[in-house]
Amino acid sequence: MASSKGPASPAVRVAEMEKMSVEQLKAVKEQTDLEVNLLQDSLNNIRTATTRLDLASAALHDLSLRPQGKKMLVPLTASLYVPGTLDDSEKVLVDIGTGYFVEKTMVEGKDYCERKIHLLKSNYDQLLELASKKKTVADEAGAVLQAKLKQLAPQT
Amino acid sequence: MASPAAVRELQRDLENKANDLSRIQKDIAKNHQVRKKYTIQLGENELVLKELELLKEEANVYKLIGPVLVKQDLAEANANVRKRIEYISAELKRLDATVQDLEEKQNSKREAVCALPILLNFVMLLFSSAKC
Repeated sequence: MASSKGPASPAVRVAEMEKMSVEQLKAVKEQTDLEVNLLQDSLNNIRTATTRLDLASAALHDLSLRPQGKKMLVPLTASLYVPGTLDDSEKVLVDIGTGYFVEKTMVEGKDYCERKIHLLKSNYDQLLELASKKKTVADEAGAVLQAKLKQLAPQT
Repeated sequence: MASPAAVRELQRDLENKANDLSRIQKDIAKNHQVRKKYTIQLGENELVLKELELLKEEANVYKLIGPVLVKQDLAEANANVRKRIEYISAELKRLDATVQDLEEKQNSKREAVCALPILLNFVMLLFSSAKC
């Protein structure tokens, strides 16, 4: 079922929905509700990823403040820490995906985090727009469905 | 003359076609799953390629192979990622062709499945009117 909400204005959409039967309308509403849920999940995922990147950026910033040779505890597992000293904090290893790591300077590392956060924010905004458009359509479908059901009920 | 045997055969035919249709639909769903996975991988690899292209010549690139971080040549890493992107794009194109083919088959089977019950009812009507 092709659903193009781009060119159709809300009035046109509602008019088309009025023409549909109750069954078809229910199907349309279910379909749009499903899509809205999917988009919400994606939005949540992006929010989680942005938070993690923020944490990474903060950790980097903190690391850059520490002097070389500073005593620290290195995590070997989640419950095992080993004492160590901070080596050169000027170089950082960045995970860029698919198993590749790149050695970068502290400044480049911070820049990488910033870039990723910007990318995620713009994706988030785009998705948010899409999700709210779909929600509008779902709400319209729900309203027309209610009206139709009310129309049918008093006839009995 | 319509006979119970012909009716039974039509019913069997309908069942077969319905089974075929559901099998095709399952195949289409599986195709979508695989296509989603490949699309995600393609996106990730393109991000990696962009990062690699931003690097200077002497930058160090490491690849995680199991538990081992192995130093890689920047040119080699670029080539590997590019090859992977090509491979995934080819796979996606192949999947596209397959899903189109499957959808055509699904549509034709669906039409057949819709036409058969009508024919079946008609035959049963003939048979019951022939009896009395």
